[in-house]
Amino acid sequence: MVNKIKNRKFSQYNFFSKNRKGQMRIQQMSFMLMAVTLFFVLVGIFVLVMRFSGLKDTAKTLEEENAMLLVSKLANSPEFSCENAFGALSNCIDADKVMALASREEYQEFFGVAKIEIRKIYPDNGNIACNEENYETCGLIKVLERNVKTLPSSSTFVSLCRKEIHENLIYDKCEMAKLIVTGEDKT
Amino acid sequence: MIKKGKGQEEIIGFALIIIIVAVILLVILGLSIRGKGKEAVQSYEVGSFVQTALQYTSDCYDGIEYLPVQKLIFECENENTCDDGRNTCDVLNFTLRDIAEKSWQVSEETPVKGYKIRVVTEEREVLLIEQGNQTNDYKSAMQSFSRQGIDYDISFSVYY
Repeated sequence: MVNKIKNRKFSQYNFFSKNRKGQMRIQQMSFMLMAVTLFFVLVGIFVLVMRFSGLKDTAKTLEEENAMLLVSKLANSPEFSCENAFGALSNCIDADKVMALASREEYQEFFGVAKIEIRKIYPDNGNIACNEENYETCGLIKVLERNVKTLPSSSTFVSLCRKEIHENLIYDKCEMAKLIVTGEDKT
Repeated sequence: MIKKGKGQEEIIGFALIIIIVAVILLVILGLSIRGKGKEAVQSYEVGSFVQTALQYTSDCYDGIEYLPVQKLIFECENENTCDDGRNTCDVLNFTLRDIAEKSWQVSEETPVKGYKIRVVTEEREVLLIEQGNQTNDYKSAMQSFSRQGIDYDISFSVYY
């Protein structure tokens, strides 16, 4: 009788011990599942962040590349270029054309950029803004300026040419300038 | 009971390691992607500089026209003088030096560390202008032209 009771107690103890082990395994499993889920959630967030920041960066890079291409395109466009007025020159901008263009409101949207300016590098005339009276001695021609969100500027060297008169001699005067184009940030 | 505690500690440690590694990965990758910036000097800027410098109209009058830099090089090679008696090589040297100085700001604080302009014919060096330090990162442009059977090369390097 005593042995029977002892056996029963032992099997009861064995049952509880097994039950605890099972509980612990379930607990271990749930912790493991939580950790794995957390890991994949983090990876997912990371991928999403990278994708969206990548998209934004690509958009910005494209805008910048467009601005850079536009710099070269503008220098050779009919609105800016010297054509053959000063001989076969490349990267040549006609100062008279630019001055005429700068005062026209119709071209504000035409080029699809935020800002276009031409800064004389040599001779260096500082920041004196150009107008029709002083454009031979000024330093900065603001062709276009729109009040929009902007990208970093792109620039290229150009020859800013005009006709000059010196002692009844008409000659071509080409100065060194920088065409600076600032793209519009559409993001 | 001790075994259970140990197991839990291991799991928490494992989870913590995963979180820490993931966060570090995020930070490193984020920084490396954002770190790619625009180059200090663009190739097209260097190329356009050479082209426009050659087209610049100098104050050297030869009796017919005010000479652009490209023609000044020819006149310098022929050892001619301007109408006012100045040596064309001196005018060329002064003009190109001044143009480069105004176009590229060279210092330790600016992105451009130095530059070199070299004008050569097949036989001799017509002009050499050097400014600042020559580093391993540079962009170069070269233009060739000829007159009266003589070939000229102008090369320009910007160090950054």
